[in-house]
Amino acid sequence: MADSREPPPLFDDDDSRKDDENDDLFTSAVQSPVSEGGSLTPTVEEDVEKPGEQTDPLSDSPPEAAAHSTIQAQPSDSTSSPLFSQSPSLPRADTPPMTSEPVDLFESCSLGGNDSEDVTPTAVGPMTAGQEQEVSLDDNDDTGIFQSTAAPKLQLNQNDNEKKDEFIEITVTDPQKIGDGMGAYMAYKVTTKTNISYFRKQHWSVMRRFSDFLGLHSKLVEKHLHSGRIVPPAPQKSAIGTTKIKLGSDKSAESSIEFIEKRRAALERYMNRTAAHPTLRGDPDFREFVELDAELPRATQTSALSSAGVLRLFNRVGETVNKMTFKMDESDQWFEEKTQQIESLDNQLHKLHASLEGLVNYRRELAISTAIFAKSVAVLSSVEEHSALSRALHQLSEAEERIHTIHNAQADADYFHMAETTKDYIALIAAVKDVFHERVKAFQMWQHSQQMLAKKREAKAKAELVAKPDKIQQAQAEVTEWETKVERSQEEFERISKAIKKEIDQFEIIRVKDFKETLVKYLEALMTSQQQIIKVWETFIPEAKAIV
Amino acid sequence: MMDVMEEVLHAETNGTKGGRSDTVDLNDSSLQVDISDALSEREKVKFTVHTKTTLAEYTKPEFSVVRQHEEFIWLHDRFDENEDYAGFIIPPPPPRPDFDASREKLQKLGEGEGSMTKEEFNKMKQELEAEYLATFKKTVAMHEVFLTRLAQHPIFRNDHNFKVFLEYEQDLSVRSKNKKEKVEGLIKNFNKTTDELLLSATQKDVDEYFEKEKGFLLEYHMAIKDSTAKADRMTRCHKNVADSYIKLSSGLSQLGAIEGPRFEKFVNKVSEAFEKGRKVEGRVASDEDLKLSDSLRYYMRDTSAAKDLLYRRLRCLANYEQANKNLDRARAKNKDVHAGCFVQMAELAQQNACEKFEQMSEKAKEELTDFKMRRVAAFKKNLVELAELELKHAKAQVQLQKNCLQSLEEEC
Repeated sequence: MADSREPPPLFDDDDSRKDDENDDLFTSAVQSPVSEGGSLTPTVEEDVEKPGEQTDPLSDSPPEAAAHSTIQAQPSDSTSSPLFSQSPSLPRADTPPMTSEPVDLFESCSLGGNDSEDVTPTAVGPMTAGQEQEVSLDDNDDTGIFQSTAAPKLQLNQNDNEKKDEFIEITVTDPQKIGDGMGAYMAYKVTTKTNISYFRKQHWSVMRRFSDFLGLHSKLVEKHLHSGRIVPPAPQKSAIGTTKIKLGSDKSAESSIEFIEKRRAALERYMNRTAAHPTLRGDPDFREFVELDAELPRATQTSALSSAGVLRLFNRVGETVNKMTFKMDESDQWFEEKTQQIESLDNQLHKLHASLEGLVNYRRELAISTAIFAKSVAVLSSVEEHSALSRALHQLSEAEERIHTIHNAQADADYFHMAETTKDYIALIAAVKDVFHERVKAFQMWQHSQQMLAKKREAKAKAELVAKPDKIQQAQAEVTEWETKVERSQEEFERISKAIKKEIDQFEIIRVKDFKETLVKYLEALMTSQQQIIKVWETFIPEAKAIV
Repeated sequence: MMDVMEEVLHAETNGTKGGRSDTVDLNDSSLQVDISDALSEREKVKFTVHTKTTLAEYTKPEFSVVRQHEEFIWLHDRFDENEDYAGFIIPPPPPRPDFDASREKLQKLGEGEGSMTKEEFNKMKQELEAEYLATFKKTVAMHEVFLTRLAQHPIFRNDHNFKVFLEYEQDLSVRSKNKKEKVEGLIKNFNKTTDELLLSATQKDVDEYFEKEKGFLLEYHMAIKDSTAKADRMTRCHKNVADSYIKLSSGLSQLGAIEGPRFEKFVNKVSEAFEKGRKVEGRVASDEDLKLSDSLRYYMRDTSAAKDLLYRRLRCLANYEQANKNLDRARAKNKDVHAGCFVQMAELAQQNACEKFEQMSEKAKEELTDFKMRRVAAFKKNLVELAELELKHAKAQVQLQKNCLQSLEEEC
């Protein structure tokens, strides 16, 4: 169905490609199929009901299909998980009711000429897995506003839905030291396995270095943060670690091996989190990162000492001051609660992380002291003149040696499962706070424009008093200009609020699931090591009993 | 908490008492000594020594007195100094009751009170109290073992000082050594050590058996001392791990509280599992401490006492040889009849020395064999018990974790 407004970004490649636009989930996902010659479909298969229609879930199926998709989309939603109350209802409802809701959605989009601005606050990507995501774009355009409803479902991994899963899994392996001396760096092999169609292959690898990852992150943040998306944070830079790599010889010190392993695991988690977010993974920069076979251009902005780095530092200082000084008039109860919850969650995670680190350290100490003890018992056994006792002591020494290995492995599990996950979540919470802050900034903008509008109105009133026609006209123009700005910033604010709500809901679900999984894995690891300890002592007992 | 303490007490008395005196004939119950009660008063610990006897020398068949640590040391010193007992291994004295570590921890806990939740604080306090109690029980057990060994030794039990110690109702007014005496004691020790070194360098033992034993004991003593220290360290680390579970458990339950209903139950289950796990880990640590570290420590001291025995014997031998030399010299100098008394004196001295030496050697041989038997049996018992306990605890942990995982699955 045609629309009187500007065509959806779907057809508008150039516009939607602008990075500085507030691209949202919808558009970026759309771009991909479009760029690839308009082939739709990431291999997400939507409903069985739409067999032939491999529509890009997020995109509004190209206009021809739009009509179909809308209609077909509707029934398909019945099975969708009620991610947001709106979406399921949307397609299910008949068109008339549907118009109302999407209209809301639409209003919150900036209507004022921002081309790529498009629907789907509802389409805001869930950060992941397991959730069905519905993007409903209402295609009913009686009102002349472009509404499209395509409610293809995007689901990742498990879900009770029979739909086929869209799957992308990234592993980071093979850290290799490239180069020598000060110019040396570690390169990691990034292997992607996926069945998403907008990627060229199903399984491939590329080499990337750490600054590439950071560069990707900063690009994603630039593009998506002000839409209210939670962008997973990248692993931190570490001056110590980097120096170790640069200066240390290959695979020498244990500490640098440990550091590399930590970093590798962190990078892998980072990549998978980003890939799990449907919008982010459709982002061209992301795709370039995973796909491009050649070396990526150096992301110099990420280096701490560059001019961009200094600029960033200033910005950050400014923002921090802003955060502290500006107290927002929170009208939305939900946000009020959430902010508080996030704060206390943050504190709690910090504490948890600290105690986890304590546990890891103690356990490592235990492992070391057990090993030392084992050696000492071995000496004792060699000195002991009573042969049976000597043998038993020797066995004891071996048993303790094995236990030491078990303790060490357990400490590793402690660390990698629990401590690192907690640290990741602390960083994620920080990203969430950033997103909240974006909203506050949008609010500030809105307030500001309202104030300006008031001033301009006053100015106009004054001009009218003086009755100078040209001044009046000018004032009138300014008033109109600010009126639109006010409208726009209000919509922006509301849009970002809605986007955040969805993101947060998603985030919560994933977070909970992730944490549950981690805890379960951790318990299983504990159980395994205890079972191993059982075996050790079981073999020892007959030896001890054999002492005559 | 109570059951933990009960078990600790039980395990201790079983382990320590049984293991260390089980080669002595326990059928002879004519003199039974135990510590029925103990009171901790600020700096001091007061032990109630309870005796049951059928021997005629004692005025009553059953009685109790209150003794302090210094009086135990006094008793030990009386045995140590007694020349008649030179041929025996003197049971090592019990170590001073040492609550410093616990007190320090308590202080630290008090300082850190503000930074943790009430729950956490209570748990840690409980933990500390349990620790304190365990240390207390240990010291009681060690004092008891010292006494029982004396009571069951065929010669020692008849010692007059021992009787006084058991019976005398008043305070023995044994003041601990003041500074001068302490310095004297130190100097004496120093002399003894240098003498020992000198002797071992110069004095050749006629008996190969003893020579070998000496070598063995020296090496053994060093090795076991090392092992004891390492075992202590290991046990301490283990305890730390167990304690850090507390923080983890409370951190998780707080997280659950923030998270709200959907996650809370899950997290609380895990937190509980950690809490229980901590108790088990704590048991593992304390069992290791009891069975392993304490045995090692006790036998380290016993080995030291055995070394002392050998030293005394060697000194005796040296004296004997000296007496021989004197005799020869006397005989050489005093060839005429008038100096016969000198010769006689020297002869007498030599005879005494000879007797003493031979007696000592006899007894020493017995004692050393006895020592070896005791040691092997004690180690066997403790190692077996250690392994069995560790096994039990590990199984308990597995069970705990299995249960938790199961209930978590149901939860999801």
